Formats: sequence, C-alpha cells, structure tokens
Amino acid sequence: MKLSGVLSLTLLSSLCLGAKRSSGGTFENYHAKSQSYAPLRLDDASYDELTATPRNHSVLVLLTALEARFGCQLCRDFQPEWDLLGRSWAKGDRHGDSRVLLGTLDFADGKGTFQKLMLQTAPIFLLFPPTSGRNAKPDGQPIRYDFTAGPQSAEQVVGWMSRYLPDGPKPAVQRPLNYVRIITVTTTLLGVLSFLSVAYPYILPVIQNRNLWAGISLITILLFTSGHMFNHIRKVPYVAGNGQGGISYFAGGFSNQFGMETQIVAAMYGTLSFATIALALRVPRMSDPKRQQLAVFIWGGVMFGMYSFLLSVFRIKNGGYPFHLPPF
Amino acid sequence: MAVEVLEPFLKGDTGRNTRGLLRLIILCTIAAAAVASRLFSVILDPWFNFRATKYLVQNGFYSFWDWFDDREASHPVAQLVYEPRKPAEEPKRTRTWHPLGRVTGGTLYPGLMVTSGIIYHVLRFLSMPVDIRNICVLLAPGFSGLTAFASYLITSEMTTSPSAGLLAAIFMGITPGYISRSVAGSYDNEAIAIFLLVFTFFLWIKSVKNGSAMWGALTALFYGYMVSAWGGYVFITNLLPLHTFVLICMGRYSPRLYVSYSTWFALGTLASMQVPFVGFLPIRSSDHMSALGVFGLLQLVAFVEFIRQQVPNKQFQTLLRGLIFVVFVVSMGVLVLLTVSGVIAPWSGRFYSLWDTGYAKIHIPIIASVSEHQPTAWPAFFFDLNLMIWLFPAGVYMCFQQLKDEHVFVVIYAVLASYFAGVMVRLMLTLTPVVCIAAALAISSILDTYLVAENPIPKETQANGQATSDSIKSAADVIKDSLRSTRNPVLGIYSYVSKASVVGAVTTYLLLFVLHCTWVTSNAYSSPSVVLASKLPDGSQHIIDDYREAYYWLRQNTPDKAKIMSWWDYGYQIGGMADRPTLVDNNTWNNTHIATVGKAMSSREEVSYPILRQHDVDYVLVVFGGLLGYSGDDINKFLWMVRISEGIWPDEINERNYFTARGEYRVDDEATPTMRNSLMYKMSYYNYNALFPAGQAQDRVRGSKLPAEGPQLSTLEEAFTSENWIIRIYKVKDLDNVGRDHGSAVAFDKGNKKKKTAKRRGARVLRVE
Amino acid sequence: MRSLTLFAAYLSSIFTTAVADSNLSTPLSSHQILPDNFKPPEVFKNANLLRNINLEKGYVRETVNVVIENIDANEQDTYYIPFKAEAIGNVGGLEVKDKKDPEKPAFRSEVVEYDPYSPTQFYRVTLPVPLAPSAQQTLAISYHVLSALAPLPAAINQQDKQYLHYTFSTYWPSAYLTEKQKTKVKFSTADVPGFTAEPLREGKTFTYGPFEKTPAGVEQEASVRYESTRPVIHATLLERDIEISQWGGNLATEERYWLTNKGAHLSGHFSRVEWARTQHYNPPTSALRMLTLPLQVGSLNPYFTDDIGNVSTSRFRSNIREANLELKPRYPLFGGWNYSFKVGWDASLGGFLRKLKNGDGYVLRVPFLEGPKMSEGISYEKVDLRVILPEGAT
Repeated sequence: MKLSGVLSLTLLSSLCLGAKRSSGGTFENYHAKSQSYAPLRLDDASYDELTATPRNHSVLVLLTALEARFGCQLCRDFQPEWDLLGRSWAKGDRHGDSRVLLGTLDFADGKGTFQKLMLQTAPIFLLFPPTSGRNAKPDGQPIRYDFTAGPQSAEQVVGWMSRYLPDGPKPAVQRPLNYVRIITVTTTLLGVLSFLSVAYPYILPVIQNRNLWAGISLITILLFTSGHMFNHIRKVPYVAGNGQGGISYFAGGFSNQFGMETQIVAAMYGTLSFATIALALRVPRMSDPKRQQLAVFIWGGVMFGMYSFLLSVFRIKNGGYPFHLPPF
Repeated sequence: MAVEVLEPFLKGDTGRNTRGLLRLIILCTIAAAAVASRLFSVILDPWFNFRATKYLVQNGFYSFWDWFDDREASHPVAQLVYEPRKPAEEPKRTRTWHPLGRVTGGTLYPGLMVTSGIIYHVLRFLSMPVDIRNICVLLAPGFSGLTAFASYLITSEMTTSPSAGLLAAIFMGITPGYISRSVAGSYDNEAIAIFLLVFTFFLWIKSVKNGSAMWGALTALFYGYMVSAWGGYVFITNLLPLHTFVLICMGRYSPRLYVSYSTWFALGTLASMQVPFVGFLPIRSSDHMSALGVFGLLQLVAFVEFIRQQVPNKQFQTLLRGLIFVVFVVSMGVLVLLTVSGVIAPWSGRFYSLWDTGYAKIHIPIIASVSEHQPTAWPAFFFDLNLMIWLFPAGVYMCFQQLKDEHVFVVIYAVLASYFAGVMVRLMLTLTPVVCIAAALAISSILDTYLVAENPIPKETQANGQATSDSIKSAADVIKDSLRSTRNPVLGIYSYVSKASVVGAVTTYLLLFVLHCTWVTSNAYSSPSVVLASKLPDGSQHIIDDYREAYYWLRQNTPDKAKIMSWWDYGYQIGGMADRPTLVDNNTWNNTHIATVGKAMSSREEVSYPILRQHDVDYVLVVFGGLLGYSGDDINKFLWMVRISEGIWPDEINERNYFTARGEYRVDDEATPTMRNSLMYKMSYYNYNALFPAGQAQDRVRGSKLPAEGPQLSTLEEAFTSENWIIRIYKVKDLDNVGRDHGSAVAFDKGNKKKKTAKRRGARVLRVE
Repeated sequence: MRSLTLFAAYLSSIFTTAVADSNLSTPLSSHQILPDNFKPPEVFKNANLLRNINLEKGYVRETVNVVIENIDANEQDTYYIPFKAEAIGNVGGLEVKDKKDPEKPAFRSEVVEYDPYSPTQFYRVTLPVPLAPSAQQTLAISYHVLSALAPLPAAINQQDKQYLHYTFSTYWPSAYLTEKQKTKVKFSTADVPGFTAEPLREGKTFTYGPFEKTPAGVEQEASVRYESTRPVIHATLLERDIEISQWGGNLATEERYWLTNKGAHLSGHFSRVEWARTQHYNPPTSALRMLTLPLQVGSLNPYFTDDIGNVSTSRFRSNIREANLELKPRYPLFGGWNYSFKVGWDASLGGFLRKLKNGDGYVLRVPFLEGPKMSEGISYEKVDLRVILPEGAT
C-alpha cells in the first residue's frame, strides 16, 4: 500500500514537472514521458523524432522482437533486465541531468526502422550520441552493441553505456528486493530443518548406511570419469543426427562428445566395474559350486564382451587406435 | 579375506625373507621399467626451469633466491618500477617480462631447481661429475621410479595383499596419464610433484594409523617440500583436512587423528611459509582456510572428548555440544567477515574456477585460454588410464568393505580427484595415483581369489551347513554395517575352469594395458611440445623442428639484447632456447602486461607500432600453422588475445569486430576489416599468397581460401620464416629517416621501384595504410 | 691398470695450435725477437718467379715457385718472406718445400718479430742445406690468406649473384731483387666484371706480367672483383676433442664449430617464399645449405647437436669405402649469419693406436683436422685441439 502511494506521488510530481517543461523540446517531452513509463516504448515515428539531428541529448534504443512468433529467446530473456535498467535510470535521473533517453523499439511497432537499418538480428542496442550542445560528437553515428556473449545483466549494459556517454550522472541499477524469494528460501530452510529434527532417528541409519555412501561415491566417480563436466561446461548437444535421418550416438573426434554418449560410456564403465566387484567379492562367497561356476561364466563373459565393445567405441573416437578384443 | 588362503603358501622365516627379496627385486624392476619407458626422446622443456637451475648451480642458493631476472639498469621503465636501485649493483640482464624484469626467486616454486641442484652436488661429492643438463633431463624419469615405489607403499597400507602394492607400482610406472608429464626432458614442476604428492599421502596415512608425531612431522616435511615444488599443493592442503573432517563426522575421532593432524598442520604450515612465493598465504588466503578451520574444530572435539571422559554428566555434555556449535558458527562468521573485509584473500582465481566452471571464462580469460585448463572429454580418460578407468570404481567399492581410516581417505581422494580431472585436463595428473591404487586393489583382489591352487570342499553335509549358517550369522553380527555383497564369508572358488578362465581374461586385459601404454607413449607423449612428429606415407617418422629452427636463428643472428614479443605461451621457450628477453612468458602474473601484448597483436598497425616502440620490441614472433595444418597456432589462439585485451581496453578492442556479421570467425574474403587489419592476421598471412598460384592460397588449419590480395605490412618487415612456416619472425622497423610514417614510406618505395605497376594498380598503393 | 705411455712427440695432453690468428695483440709464441732495425740482408735474388693466386675458394691460396740464387760470397741458409703487418696475422699454413723434391719434409719456417709497429713483418725460412754462393734452388712456397676477400656490394638480395673483391700486389712481395716474375690469378668462373692493372685474360685465368727486375719491397696494387655465388665459410673457432678410452677400446671425437658466413649480407630480409621456390632447381647461392664431413672409414654413432638439442637434419652414409656425415644446419646460413654446433662420432681405437715395438708405449695417429669438405673451402680462425688420454697415462 505504502509503496504504491509513493509511486503515485512520484508519478504525479514527475507529471507536473513534465508539464512545466513540456515546451522545452524533444528531450524534455520524452523525458517527462519516461518518468511515467520507462524505458520508452517507441514506434517508427517517435524513433525518427528522437534520433533526428541535431539533437542535444543521447538516445539508447533497444531494437528487439518480443513477439513469440519471432522466437527470439534472447530478447525475452533480456527484457526484464532492460525494464529494470530503464526504471532505475528514470528514478535516478529525475531532472534529466544525464540527457539520456532510453527507448525500446519492438519489431512489431517499427518494421520500417528495422528495414531501414537492414537489421537481420535482434536484440541490438544503438546508442546515439548528441550532435549539438556541449558533448556533441560531429558524426552522430550510433554506436552498436550486439549481444554476442549471450544475455547481459543490466549492470553490464550500464557499464557499456557509461564508456560512451559524456560525463554526467549515471544512475546505478537498483534491483528491487525479491521478497518472494527470500520468504521461499527461509520457509524451505526452516521446513527442512524441522523435518530433519523430527525424522532424525529414521534418517540416521540411512546416513550411516555404507551401501548408500558406496553407491553415491561410485555414481559420482562414474559421472565424472565419463566426461560429465565436459558436457556441463561446453554445453554439448545430447545427441545429433547423422545426416541420414538416423541418430549418431558418438561424436567424431577425440575431444568431442555428446551427452548421450557419456551416459553410454558411464553405463559401460559401471557394468565393467560391477562385473569386477561380482567376480572379486560375490562369487567366492557362493556356496553352491554349480551356481558359482555359472556366475563366473556370466560375469566373465559380460566383462569380456563389454570391454571389447568399449575398445571398439574408443576406436571410433581415436582413428589410429590399433587394439581390439575379438567380438567387436 | 582371500589373502588368508595365500598364507600357507610360503610360511616361516625363510618364506618371509624370500618373499621380501622377491618383492624388492620386482619393485626395482618396476622402477627400471618406469624409467626406461620414459626415455623415448630427450628434449629439454621448458627451458626457463633449466636456466634457473643452471643459475642456481653456478651461483649458489642465496643468490638464486635474489635472482632478479632483468637486464638493463639503464632502461627508464625498469628504473621507474624498481627504484631505488643501488648504484653498486652490477648490471644484470633481463630475460623475461621486459621491461619489468622478474624477481625470479620470489615468483616461482623452487623445489624442482633445488632438487636438481642437490643431486648435482651430491653426485659431485661422490666424485661423479655429471652435467647439470643431464640431471635435469633425467630427473622426471628418475622421480617416476620413486613414484612407483611410493604407490607401492601407500597401496600396501590399504590391504594385506602384497600383490596389490606391486600392481599399483607397475600401474603407476607405466600409465600414460603420468608418463605424459614425466618423459625424459620434461623438466617441469610436475616431474617431482607427483612423487611428493603420493609420498605425502602415504606418510599421512601412516601417521593417522599410528598416531605418531614422527610420521606427522615427516608428513609436514614432505608437505613443505611439495609446497616448494608445485602450486598443486593446495590439493593436499584441502584433502587432508577434509579427510579429518569426514572422520570426525563419522564419529571416528581418536587421539591418533588428533596427534597426526595437529603435528602436520602446525609444522606443515610453518614449512610452507618458508617458500617466498607462498609466504603468508597459508594464513591469509581462503584456499588454506579449511585446514585452519578443521584444526580449530579438532581442538574443540578433543576438548569435548577430554571433558566427556572426566565428567560423565549427560546434560553437561549437551550443553557443551551446544557451546561448541556456537563457537564453530561464530568462528565461521568471523572467517567470512575477514574475507569480506579483505584481510583474508578470497579464493584464488585458478582455484575458484574449479568450482564455478563458468567463472574463468567470464572473469579470467587468461586462465580459460590455456589448453590444459579445458574440461576433459571421456576419451582422454580412457586414453590416459585405459582399463584402470573401470577398475577404479570397483577398487573404490572395495575400500568400503573395510572402511578403515585410510580407506575413507582413498574414497574422498577418488571422488574429489575425479571431479577435478573432469573439470581440467591438467588435473588428470592428480587423479592418476588414486586410480592406480584403486585399480590395483580391484585386480589384486581378483587375482588373490582366483590364483589359489587348492579348492575349497563343498559343504554338503547337513552338519557343516548348520555350522556355516552359524558362522554367517556371527560374521554378520560382527560387521553389522558392512557391504551387501560381503555379508557372507569367503569360501573360495570351486572349479579350475572358473579359475583359469578368469585369470586368463585378466591376464589378457593386463597385457592389453601394457600394449596400450607402449603405444600411447611412443606415439603421443614421446615428442615434447617443441617438436612435431609426423608419419610419412612410407611409415618413417618425419620430424618438424620449426620451433627450434627459429629459436636458434634468433639466438645466433639477432643482437644479444633484442627483445622479442610473442604470445605468452612461447615465453619460456624463447627465453631458454633463443636466449633473448621476452615481454611475457608462461608465468607472467601481470594481467595488464599480457593484455598489452594482446592489444598489440589485435590492433591495427598504427595502434600497435607505438606499443611496440614503447616496449622496445625488436622482433615479433608469431606461430602460424596454415601451411602445415598445425592447429595450435596463434590465429586459433587469437580470440583469447582479443578477449584478454578487451578486458583492459574495452573501448579499443571489441571481440565482436573479429566476427563476421553472421558471427563466424573467418580468415578468408569475408573476414571483417578489423580482423584483416589486425597485426596478428597480417603477420600470419604476410607473403603467404606467394607460395601458391594466384588466388589459390589455402589455409589448411581453418580450411579456407584466403583473399587473393595478401596483407601489406608497413611498420614491420619479415625477418625469418621457418621451413614449414610455423614460426614467423618480424623485425620492427625503426622510425623513418625522413620522418614519414611507415605507410607512406612503403608506398613511396613501391612507387619508386615499380613505377609501371604502381601506375597500373594505383588505387591499391594509395589504399595501403 | 698399468700406466700407459703415449709416445707421441708432438702430442701433449693439451695441445693448442693456431692456424691463423688474426688477433695480433696476442703474438704467436714462436716469434723470434730480432733487433728493431732489422732488414733482411740482400744475399739472395729471385732468378725466376711464378706466382699463382687461387681465388676458387672462400679464402686465397697462393703458390709461389721461385728459383733463388745466392748472390753473397758466403753460404746462406736463411730466406725471408715479407708480409704486411696487417696481413701477416691472416696468413696461414705457410709451407716451403723443395720444388725438385716435394717428397722431402717442408723446410722450417716461422714468423719472426723485431718491431711490433713496423709495417713489414717476416717469415723466416731456414734451408736445411745452406746454399753455396751462386748456387740456385727452386722453392715451392704456398700459403693461404684469410679474411682477405670482401663481398662487393656488401649486401645483396637473396637470389643475386655474389661478387668478391680482392686487392693484392701484382709483384710478389719479396725481400730480394726479382729478375723475372709473373702472377697468375685463377677464378672459379669467368665472370670478372671489375679489375685493375690490365691483365691478360684467358677464360678463368688472369695473367699479370711478366715483370723484369723488380727491386725488393716494391708493390703494384691491383684488385679484382669476381663472381663467387657461394658461401664464404669461416669458423671463428673450432674446438676438437679426441678422447681415448683404452677401456672401451674407443676413440671418441667431438668437434665444436662456431661458423659464420662471411659472404654478402642480405640487403633485405630473408624471404622463405623465395628460398622455398629456388629449392627445386638448386641454383648457386651465397647461403650455406649443407656441410659434408668425410669421416674416417669405420666411424660410428655420429651425433649432431647444438645448444638447444639434437638437430634432426643430418644423414650418415657409411660403408666400407667411405663414411660421410651430411649435416644440414637448422636454417640456411646467409652472409653475416652464424651457426654453432657440435658433431661427434666414435671409432674403434684399434685403427689409430699402435703398440710400440719395445712394448712400453703406444703411438696414436689421428688426423690433426678433419672437418667439413666443401668445394668452396672453409677457413678456420682458431683451432683448439685437445687429446684426452686415459686416466693414469703419462
């Protein structure tokens, strides 16, 4: 309640201010607007008006395509950050001392501009320096910023802007406190704690269970030694087509792999390990000679076959590898 | 245990002696095999370490400590930085990090050099004068023999089976994962560090088992040695506390643990602080804080134990527990506060990037740019460890069987090291020892079970069966929380057929492993990075020796003080082989300095030339693999140079400008103007067109056709290009005599020399910048 | 091990010799001090003199056949050969023999010194049999002059022809009156674009003279500039170790070279493109591409390394007739470029060591200098030979 009151108050006051200065020119007009709704939502006309030369202010325009049919995930990912940046800027720069206007031009509103600029991709930032006034730049050509490094945070964009902007106030990004998140985390934490304290007697044997720990350790080890971290860091695809409609399970090349490939490899390692464990620990504890004989053959066979298959897979990855075992 | 079956095999004193002797002989053979398998090639690398060792041997330990690897006292920048300089000081020579110079003694881990120096002096004392160079070459193989021995010791602590230790030793001796870093001539810190790592772990386990301060002190001693030898000591610094912590959590606190950990921590920290490069880090950086925290925790736990023994009051104990919890929380809070306030340095970047895998790419491109710091794909694991990679989990599982303190250690080590090895190729080295240990445990347990001559008698009679089930019950009672698969007592293998088949299969696998190791070693790891070996169609080996060709050219035919600029990867090699000062090298810690080089490489000539002049650069060296298809060249590393310099000069360098509009990294006609005007691009492709018929120039690494018009250079001139074009050296031109800028001077010369062509292609000459 | 005696009169355990030492500040130890005002007595005259200057190699080789006559009343046995002070340091391998009987050992000849600042210095030749008054004897004098050739122009392009320039006197510098003399200059090609003093040109040979009655000490300067597109190989230092190991029956030789090409420098910079292009048809070049070392037959285990390790570009061809070691430096050696390297090989000691007949010593017979055999020749500034005897040898 209180918050909204403050908001409406600022809104009102800014409107008044805007009204007072509205006669001042393009910048003042838009700055007043930006106080109520930032960043500004532009269309072809307002874009042209804002960026028309001579101008005594800077304009930062985000050219984006938010509609779902364009499938611009990056645009949508960035939009909250951009809105946050616009609001912080508007709040931090009430009197327009920085002489910077922030605007969004969605493809839906400004097809003409996109065509004029011959843009194929979005989102793109254009920063128009002032062409008249104290900090004027003679050519007035916009500086372009592409999102090559993925989605950026509002702080990063401010950092980039302030490198090119003339001196003046540069309001920092103010992130609103995420109350929901704080509450969720606290509740969850408390819940978990209370659950633990209640269930402690039941959990303790589980925690102290050696088999459980052994299982966890083995799974972790298998995960890591089969290259899971590589998948995680390099963000490799899970599988890829082989160009003939089928699926290629194994990526070509020694330092290349697919997500599924590592799972197959982990499974092979696991099978081999399990066969080893069975042969070493289980089989000698069997009391029936017949069954023991059978178990030895089964596990031995599994191990042999699997290792042979593993070698054959490795030969796919490393062309010149000379060794192999019979079946594969 | 299966070993019990073995016991009657050789009994009594004679038997023990025979077995001891046999074991010794086998160990010596293993060590010899380990050394021998590393002698495929002998090329010393990196040279910086060798040079430092030579300096140490010639000038003694103390002057090595103070060795300031610099050159000209008269250089203005150097003076600015290192004022005040005593006038009496003799002028020394800068070899590295021009113009800053390098206080070598304080910026490296001296363990390697000191080790070679000591060996050198000992051999001299024994009147066996050996060239220091030979010591350096053979140090790594020699220490690998010792590593094999150390892994024998540590594995023998894990199990009663004598064969496990021997298997671990031979695995350690020949596994490619370790050979890759210890071939003859690879004179790097890792050469001795792995031995120290394994041996320190052995001593630690010994000390935890015995609770003896002596073993603890020995652990600390070798830990100190390790600190002086390799930055990877942080692994030990965190693994030992973690082991202790886990033991405490498991309720396995014992006075033995207290004695060994306290001894190790106190002495080890003191020892590590003796190394100048480490200095006060152990009490000021987060990397070391876990050791300190666990030390504090251990004191608390010991205190509680003490109280508990004295006061058998339950309420009091609860109170105490609460108190301890509070103390623990408070001390953690203080630690965090100190870190935030900056008294304790936060995690070092390299270490941090291990946890947050995306961190390095964004914040420290220098670290992410090194190929050794890339994540590991699964074929690399299999390539380096072969069958051990699947024996490894089995061995770890077997550690759960008994789960004594030392087995806990192996489990923790295994999990952590496999994570690290997955994140960074380089850390495969720390994984290798534990893989060898675990694999040896697994294989030996199989062999011990199946290589027993006598068969157990099948228990068929009812009475026996009753007895068996009784014994099963009692056994299950004794080890209550044992593994599911080991609840029944060991009986043995009944038939010879099973024995023969399993033993036969395992032998096959082991033989295959040996073949694999030989193959890998002779193919992949025998040629150090400086020499490229390729196979000719007829099977003979062809050596591509361009690096040394160019370095030797520099060494012989450039002025002694000529400064060479190259990307930092080649700094050590130039410093060592070409014996010329470099701007940056493999150990440069100054990010800005590296970024300066990156900027000079990635900017236009007009921007780069002043940078080159400011840093007194005489020659610029680039690595170009386009002719040969050598992919480790500078154009492929170029984006890192761009990124690193963009970190410092975001206004001037922008990575985006090196990509085409469609986001491709190209070198052909479609390459962006920024790319084509960058110094690196120009130097790489200068004159390269002339090798091909017009318009046919091909880059065989990028697999692309190059622009018909080759780049023009005006501020540099080609000085030398190696036989296969891998190394190209350019001389930085002096300022023009008449005061023109270089572009117009070149254009003028061209116009003068070839008036007709100039007229015909007038536009082109004008376009030259 | 019983003590060995090596009966080798001229071989001490460390044996240093200077083939030609250009550095005159360290005078040769065999200098004989003569009085300051020394002038060779006019006791001989050169009745007839034929001088051959050979410019086919990277250094100058002169052979002078002279008929000397004793014009004094007494028997004379000391013949002086004058050289300019600045040149004498570059004169090496001076050898005087009896032309009629070349099988005889060379006459004793040595540098004599009387005044270090005098413009003229002398070699003194002592005739084994004093020459009777009015008697005649024919001497064959040969020597080489190092560092006397200079490339002109001093810097050329990578594929250009290289021209060397040589200045000499058409009269042989003699301390005695010469009745009749003739100087012949031999080049390796007929391309001699520049010369003075009007010689008679016949293909690759120039002839100056004959000149009648030239008095002692008279000179007439002449110079030639001739094509020689081949490296001018010069070893500033050669260290040669011969190590005898009685134990392994092995004779190990190791040579350490510091080579430089004294030919014309590159006017621009080295262009790999041009170099690679010309590799196919192998034109003459001023760069040193390869060295061939003819080793003693039966040499084994050759190695070729330099300061940074093994040089992989060497070939060893060995059979029962010859053992050639072909070395390719890491890079082609253009004018002004240096290359230092080390080669070594083993040989069975049996072929070099012989037991003395009286049984208490050995004779070692090894070549003083082996070295690369090149058509363009190679000059050594300083050679340092060490023979390392087994431990305990006296």
